[in-house]
Parts: sequence; structure tokens; C-alpha cells
Amino acid sequence: MLAEFKHTLRRMRGQMIGWGIGLALYGLLMVSLYDSIVGIEGFQELIASYPQELMAFFGDADFLAITTPKGYIGLYYFNYMTVIIGIFAVGACASLLVGDEEKGLLDLVMAHPVSRTALFWGRLLGFAVATVLILLVGWLSWLIPSGSSSMDLPWIELLRPFLPLFAELLLFGTLALLLSMVLPSVRIAGMITGGLLVANYLLIGLSNINEDLKSLIEFTPLHYYQGGDAITELNWGWLAGLLAVSAAFALLAWWRFQRRDIRVGGEGGWRLPSLSFHRRAGSEA
Amino acid sequence: MSEEVALMTQGLTKSYGKVRALRGVDLEVQRGEIFGFLGPNGAGKTTTIRCLLDLIRPDGGTISVLGVNPQADPVAVRTRTGYLPGELQLEPNMTVEGALRYFIDLRGNKVDWGFVRQLVQRLDLDFTRPIKNLSHGNKQKIGIVQALMHRPELLLLDEPTLGLDPLMQQEVYRLLREAQADGATVFFSSHIISEVEALAERVAILRQGVIVEEAEPSQLVSMAIRRVWVRFKEVIDPAPLDRVEGITLLSKSNGASAHLQVEGEIDGLIKALAAFPVSDFEIERPSLEEIFLAYYEASDEEAS
Repeated sequence: MLAEFKHTLRRMRGQMIGWGIGLALYGLLMVSLYDSIVGIEGFQELIASYPQELMAFFGDADFLAITTPKGYIGLYYFNYMTVIIGIFAVGACASLLVGDEEKGLLDLVMAHPVSRTALFWGRLLGFAVATVLILLVGWLSWLIPSGSSSMDLPWIELLRPFLPLFAELLLFGTLALLLSMVLPSVRIAGMITGGLLVANYLLIGLSNINEDLKSLIEFTPLHYYQGGDAITELNWGWLAGLLAVSAAFALLAWWRFQRRDIRVGGEGGWRLPSLSFHRRAGSEA
Repeated sequence: MSEEVALMTQGLTKSYGKVRALRGVDLEVQRGEIFGFLGPNGAGKTTTIRCLLDLIRPDGGTISVLGVNPQADPVAVRTRTGYLPGELQLEPNMTVEGALRYFIDLRGNKVDWGFVRQLVQRLDLDFTRPIKNLSHGNKQKIGIVQALMHRPELLLLDEPTLGLDPLMQQEVYRLLREAQADGATVFFSSHIISEVEALAERVAILRQGVIVEEAEPSQLVSMAIRRVWVRFKEVIDPAPLDRVEGITLLSKSNGASAHLQVEGEIDGLIKALAAFPVSDFEIERPSLEEIFLAYYEASDEEAS
């Protein structure tokens, strides 16, 4: 398991560096802009002039809260980081095992004395640690420069919203992993999970405008995502719930992997029905 | 099961949907033996090998590898086995050394690095080169090194010399014979008849998921159809050769040469040719395809 854990981290180092640099630059930019944005004369009036529906979509009916550190970081960071970093989580997890299977790499790896359980959990743990490291860079990119601005949030308060963000990434990641075990290809698993993530995000936004959607979103993971609100108080129940669902997805994926025939070159796979009108080879015979 | 048996399958079946890949494979390979596993594409060779390592699960039948059921304890089997897949794929961004160190890590670092260096040197590999810059043959060499590096008791090799040049093929044959001399059992699939003849002590031919023949390689070759070119010192009438059992006259060139087809033992032809003034004699070695065809025709005739 340790070998696979190390190997997964080694393989994800490029993604970690890329995402880390991106998040670090974004954090530094947003912190440096904080004082100038909230200090703009007439900024509050400008915000107030925005349609209420627009601000509500982004989850903050109290739109003037944007001028506070919590409102600012909530709107400009945590509000959509589930979707942004979710791209990494879904992509990485969908291809965590089945990606290597499709490339024909898993065949040789599994011919070594490593059990399916060790392979599965070693790789999933590698993904989880890679995600934590990316979020750590994100956290530091706000924490370090915030001391030199009027934002000045204590480290623990700034850390809190990263926990539900991690839980959401883990949930959608493990969902992608599970779907990769039951759907015919990594691409389809990634597309479906990514689609669900974006749809959930949009639904949450729309539910802030349309009350009828409120009852529906209770069944979606992002409803239990606190975002910037976690700066003041963390909802441990929601966090535990998200982690529990992630664990359930991971266990189901592991169970499927235990029973899986490792394919080479599409052997034994199944395909969605072809929409082409081409006659199948040999059908004339 | 006897401790002398390295691997055994009985009634092994495996289907992919409606496609029956294995229809009851019965195999027995003795310890220390080099065993060739032959068959055309899609016959079920790779499926059989992958069942032995629990990469895929058979629908029926029993398997024993080094006395262990791979479905019950796959890690124990893989610890004592070296495997080279038929369609070897390696991570392109790793170097040769990086890939080998990863495989060693998967084996719990219980590999003698000095032996790995020795194998790499003998196969003329460069540790520092990225895999993405390697030719197919050089990638194959990495596959061979990783299969041999932990001195396994059993080697399962799917087309071991695929993409290697003739010199490297010979080096691989030497490595496999050395492994055998150290007590290893070698089970390999191949399409190359010269390779099978050079290496294997026994072979099995798989056809449509069933073993149709088990024999020594020389027996297979002798049982297959061969083509013979005979040049004569003077113009003769080769028609009498056509009347010898097992010999068919395919063509003659002005009576100075003849092209013959021989089924079975060559002895009859040699004796028949003794009556003619022969200046040259050339036997076309049968390709594996021709051997397969001979078996298929024979088993089709039996079936009909």
C-alpha cells in the first residue's frame, strides 16, 4: 500500500505543482486587491446597485457582507472553489485505477505482489493527500499575505472553510471513482460526475432565487457545503456527513474493484449503443 | 497435486459476454520445465495466463500455481512469479531506472539491485533514458528485466521476444535457460516457431479456447506440412515421387527441379529421392500458421 501511495503522489506532483501555483497566485492577487476593492469610494453603492438575484445566486443575500473579510473570501474563493478544484478531484479520481487499466498499465502493476485492497486504498490515500497539499497551498496563499492587509484573519478561522471544501472534493472524487468502476470508460465517469457537480452548483444558486427548489437541494451534497460561513463556525455534523458519504462511495468502489476483471485493450468492456448507421462488420454474412 | 507440478488448470472456462474465450483448458506444467503455449490470435493464450495471476476471474474450472490457488491468495502467487504481458505498457514519463525501482518497491524492495544492473547491462538498456523515448524493443527489455529481477520460481511470459532484434532474442533465450538452470519454470506464449523450437521442451496448442495438442516442438514440426525444393543433376521425370505416400508434387521445372509438399515424416521422401541424381535439396520450414492450419484441418475433419 505504501508503494502505491508514494507512486500516486509522485505521479500527481505535476498536478499538485500546477494547481498549487494557480491557487497561490489567485490567493495573493485577491488578498492584495482586498484593501483597494473595499476602499473604493462608492463600492458599497456599486454592490447595492447589482440585482439582488445576482448576489443571491452567489449565496450571499446580505451582499454588503462582501466588504468584510468573511464575505469577501466566501464570495471570491470558497463559493466556487468546489467547482474549480473539483475539476482536479473528479479527473484525478476517475482515472485513479481505471485510467491505468485503459492505458494497459494496470495489468503489469497487478502482476506484482500487491493486493487489490492495498492498490485501491494506497492510490485513494495518495489522491487525498495530494488534495490536502493543494488546499494547504491555497490556505497559505491567503494566510501569509493577509497579515499585511486589513483582512488579517486568524489562521484557525481561515483554515476552517477548507475542511468542508476538502470533504466536498473527496465526495465528488470518490463518486467519480465509483462511477469509473461501473461505467464503460473513465471519460464517461468523469463527464457524468463533473456534470453532477456543476448542476448541483447551479441548482444551489438558483435555489437562492427560487424557493421551490429549496426542498430539492436538500438531497444534494453542495447544500451541506458551508463555504465562507465556516470561518465563524464549522458545522461538524455536515462535515461528518459529507465524509461519511465519501467513505460509502469509496467502499462501494473498493467492493467493485475486488470483483473486477482487469481489462486490456477494451477486452471484456461494454459500450454504449452506437448511434452510427454503419453496418457492422460481418453483418452481411 | 504433486509438488513437481508448477502450474495446473482443469476445465478452465471464461466468457466475455457471448464470446467464450476459454472452453475448458486443461494444462499441466512440470517444475523446471520450459513450456511453450501456442495458438493464433484470439485463441485464449493471454486470457489463460491472466487467469493464472488472478487478473481476471475464470467462470469455471480450477487453477493451481506453485501449489496455490491464485483466487484464494493472489499475492502469494505473484510473489513467486515473474510476468511479462503481451501488450506491455509502461508509464512514459518515468525513466528506465524509475520504472524498475517502482516495480522493486511493489515487491517490498526484496530484489538484488546488483542483479538488476546485470540484467540491464546484458540487455543493453540505459537506466537514464525516459521510457517515452524508447523503441518498442527497448520497452520490451524493461518488461523482461522486471519479470526476471526477483529470480521467480515461475515465469509467465506472453510473447517474450516481441520487437527484439535477433541478437537480443538470443540473449533473452540465454537468460531464460539460465533461469531454468536455477530451478525456474518458464511458461511462454509465442508465434515464432524457431523460438519455440529453441526454447520449449514441450508445447501446447490452443485453439478457440481448448488445448488441441500437447507435444514436443520437433514432433509438431514433423507432423506439419513442409515444402521441399529438389534440384536434379540431370533432367528427370519426378512423377514417381508423386506416388509416394504423403508426398504431393506441386510443380516441376523442365524436369530439372521439383517443388514437393510433404505431410508427416520426411523419411519417405529421402528414401524415394535416393533413386534420383540430386544436386540440391531445400526444406521450407513450416510457419506456425501452417502448423496451426494442419491441426485445425485435422480437428475439423475429426469434428465432421
